Amino acid sequence: MSIGAAFSDGLMRVKRAPWLVIGLWLSTLVLALPLSLALQGQIGAHLGDSMAARSAADGMNFDWWNEFLAQSSGVGQTFVPAILGFAAVLQNLSGIADASGPPTAVVWVVVAQLMVSTFLIGGVLDRLARDHAIGAGGFFSACGVYVFRFLRLSIVSVAVYAFLFVTVHRWLFDGVYPRLLEGLAAERTAFFYRLGLYAIFGLPVVFANLVFDYAKVRAVVEDRRSMVGALSAGWRFVRRNLGAAIGLYALNSLALVAVLLLYYLAAPGAAANAVAFAIGQLFIVLRVISRLQFAASQTALFQGRLAHAGYTARPVAKWPDSPAADAIGPA
Amino acid sequence: MQDTKADSPSVSAEAQPAPLSPRNANYDIDVTLDPAARTLTGSETITWRNTGAMAAYSIRVHLYWNAFRSTNSTWLKQRKLVGDDPFGEATEADFGYSEIATIAVINDDGSVREDLKPALRYISPDDQNSDDRSLTSAALTTAVQPGENLRLRITWTGRFPKNFDRTGVVGNYFFVSQWFPKLGVFEAGGWTAHQFFANSEFYSDFGRYDVRMTVPSGWVVGATGREQSRAEAGGGKTTHRYVQDDVHDFAWTTSPDFIERTQRFEHSGLPPVEMRLLLQPEHEGLADRHFTGTAAALRYYGEWYGAYPYGHITIVDPAFQSDSGGMEYPTIFTGGTRWLSPRGSNDPEYVVLHEAGHQFWHGMVANNETERAWLDEGLNEFSDSRVQAEALQPNYFVQRFFGDFIPWQFRDLPLKRATDTNWMNSYRRMGDRDALSTPTFQLWPATHQALSYHKATLMLHTLERKHTWDVMRKVLATFFNRWQFKHPQPDDFFAVVDEVTGLPHAWFFDQVYRSSNTFDYAIERFDSAAPASRGLTESPSGLAFAEKTTAGTFRTTVVVRRLEAGIFPVDVLVTFSNGEQVREAWDGRARWQVFTFDRPVKAVSAQVDPERVLLLDTNYTNNSREMEPAAEEAATKWSLRWMVWLQDLMMTYAFFV
Repeated sequence: MSIGAAFSDGLMRVKRAPWLVIGLWLSTLVLALPLSLALQGQIGAHLGDSMAARSAADGMNFDWWNEFLAQSSGVGQTFVPAILGFAAVLQNLSGIADASGPPTAVVWVVVAQLMVSTFLIGGVLDRLARDHAIGAGGFFSACGVYVFRFLRLSIVSVAVYAFLFVTVHRWLFDGVYPRLLEGLAAERTAFFYRLGLYAIFGLPVVFANLVFDYAKVRAVVEDRRSMVGALSAGWRFVRRNLGAAIGLYALNSLALVAVLLLYYLAAPGAAANAVAFAIGQLFIVLRVISRLQFAASQTALFQGRLAHAGYTARPVAKWPDSPAADAIGPA
Repeated sequence: MQDTKADSPSVSAEAQPAPLSPRNANYDIDVTLDPAARTLTGSETITWRNTGAMAAYSIRVHLYWNAFRSTNSTWLKQRKLVGDDPFGEATEADFGYSEIATIAVINDDGSVREDLKPALRYISPDDQNSDDRSLTSAALTTAVQPGENLRLRITWTGRFPKNFDRTGVVGNYFFVSQWFPKLGVFEAGGWTAHQFFANSEFYSDFGRYDVRMTVPSGWVVGATGREQSRAEAGGGKTTHRYVQDDVHDFAWTTSPDFIERTQRFEHSGLPPVEMRLLLQPEHEGLADRHFTGTAAALRYYGEWYGAYPYGHITIVDPAFQSDSGGMEYPTIFTGGTRWLSPRGSNDPEYVVLHEAGHQFWHGMVANNETERAWLDEGLNEFSDSRVQAEALQPNYFVQRFFGDFIPWQFRDLPLKRATDTNWMNSYRRMGDRDALSTPTFQLWPATHQALSYHKATLMLHTLERKHTWDVMRKVLATFFNRWQFKHPQPDDFFAVVDEVTGLPHAWFFDQVYRSSNTFDYAIERFDSAAPASRGLTESPSGLAFAEKTTAGTFRTTVVVRRLEAGIFPVDVLVTFSNGEQVREAWDGRARWQVFTFDRPVKAVSAQVDPERVLLLDTNYTNNSREMEPAAEEAATKWSLRWMVWLQDLMMTYAFFV
């Protein structure tokens, strides 16, 4: 299977799984809701009956915003101009590139989201691999089948990413970068140095991501129980199909960039209200589709290269007599 | 008075017709730069005239670069107080110093009258830090009587600290400031000379500077004054001679990499000024924006306060990491910009405008900035903020991402004068940490900006809103014209405020300047309903219970509260549903005040200080209340917008699962 075919096959698989898109989008919404309500409470309490609320409701009252920031705490401290429009995307990507981590007040939401994703990814991959409806029961049963396997895999992935984002990042940006800047009188050169370091840092991150992605794909498609085996299999697949794996990853990344560009063009200003929320949610839906597209196209590529489209070793899991029940109960 | 002859490069500064200043501290300096060793070797002759009313029995000489000589210097100790330890991991080569080799009183013919080296000692009058080496003193065997001259010859060597706080080196870029042994100011009470503190700036007398700088041939030199000559010095070096009268300091820069641009400032009613820009190659596309900022200062300050008299000005665009940006020196200043600087945001215009504006306050009025920096910084920030509002729009908020490189301009967030370019947010967070009257060098190191710049600006803008811009312009113009070249004190400024406005302002400056009080007025209660009463009233049969409602009338009650110690007269404005507005003046003294209005309609809103005259009010949101508030609408809108950001954050991290 070619890269293009895998990409378009992946796209079709995502298209044929609208509930996955809706479900994942809803999961972000539900996870974000409690803190959004907390922030709403803080903003409402700060504005009270003030006439400043009118300008804040109609557009942006930057002075009130700064006053609020000076007097708020917790989640209120994350309500900064960078949440506006496309700046939000830059802020979040920049946070990854600079390994600054999410703001403290929202860390638990990100951690919760990672846990939820770890639970759901088995079901997502199973659905995408079969490329036909499996029903909610089948989906959640598959989630149950794979969650403990992927939790075991995540021990390895967390260790690898921690090594990359803490040790390697620190070495590159707190060690190498300052040394490169010693005696440097031109900011442009410094920028290109940093760009180079981002690339150097990004390569192992992307490679690790590729291997973990295919490890998960193989774990689901081949019903692997050993995550060390899945990881090794993922590594072998990437090594033997390096061009295709990287090419597909690049194509998917380009699609993600296209989504970001769309949002760059359509991101609402401060004045818009309901429309802004709608555009924002549409963007999140596109981001969900983009994420699913990575998984679907990688699954399609793997199935196309080593088996056949739609092949999965394990029959559709049934609830309650699912293997997941076996997995969580005594043998 | 205009220095018209200085406009012609062929006429030397010696030909100036009349001095603008007392010219009582004149420096004749030869200095050689060794770029490889990062050293200066210099000799200077200082001719100082005692303009005081008493004899001087000693001298005070600043050696500013010794602030970078050890981590025990007062300067570095102060930085450490706020958690900043720039020399924490410094190597031997990173430290700078200034070391006097010889110092002597000389006769008119140049012969030594008295060798002062044996008597020279380091002093630390401000903090008794025996490790500080930034100030020296030497007793004179023969006192200098009022009106008499003292001639000193000093030879010294100095080593640049490594790219550090406004002086230093990065690559081939050298910025040379506070570099020569410099006298203090002899005033009524004796010498005014302080050690070098993290927040203090500088104070010195006016005079003539004739400086010959020897640097590698081919390197561009920019300096205070105008270049008079250039001569081969042998060994691949060239000597550049710059001369300037009526200034109190001399700074210079050199680099082989500067791109040089010039433009002539011309504006009706103002003398022309030759603007010379020394630009980093990577900022070549920003040349016009540097000239725009400089010309804006020359034009508006010139029109509002008085003309710039020197005829020339040099703008230095500092090298990346030089840490020398945003500083003013007579007829030369450093800007500071970024490689990526989107139009529609005042970078570099703001910093260029600000530093060019300093030429008027720091350069000419020249108050003691070590003790009262606000009198320069506050007046200048107040003025440049107004210029930005008038001439440099739009000016949008910018934030940078990816290692602080990639700018993002928020077109929804135009920066406003009253709150943003006056730096309200900084004042709001730290305005109560010190009193503005605290000598600048004794301010808590982290609060200098919030007070000297931002509180002072808001104080002046509050006065502008109280008295109108025209009155405030007259205040500053009177102060500028009366006190230029005379080292005024804050009380001189306050006297001008009283004089021009015709009103006493001690009540205001006592609170805003002499105390750390803050201001916060609030509407504590606001309701509007038909007046009703219940209770026991007299009747023929004795006390009887009665309920009474006045139909067709609504009683509006507004309770205004003063939440902080600061007192300021404010207006209270109540708006009714039929559009009627009632304004009540309140002296703001009591902690609270009730206002009651009976009208045929309900009130819709109440505001205290509706025009926001009192810009020093730290919490303006509580200054108003309305019957149908939009808080819920606003809170929902912004929490939903924020939620998209959080969802995007989650999707960004989802990449790793």
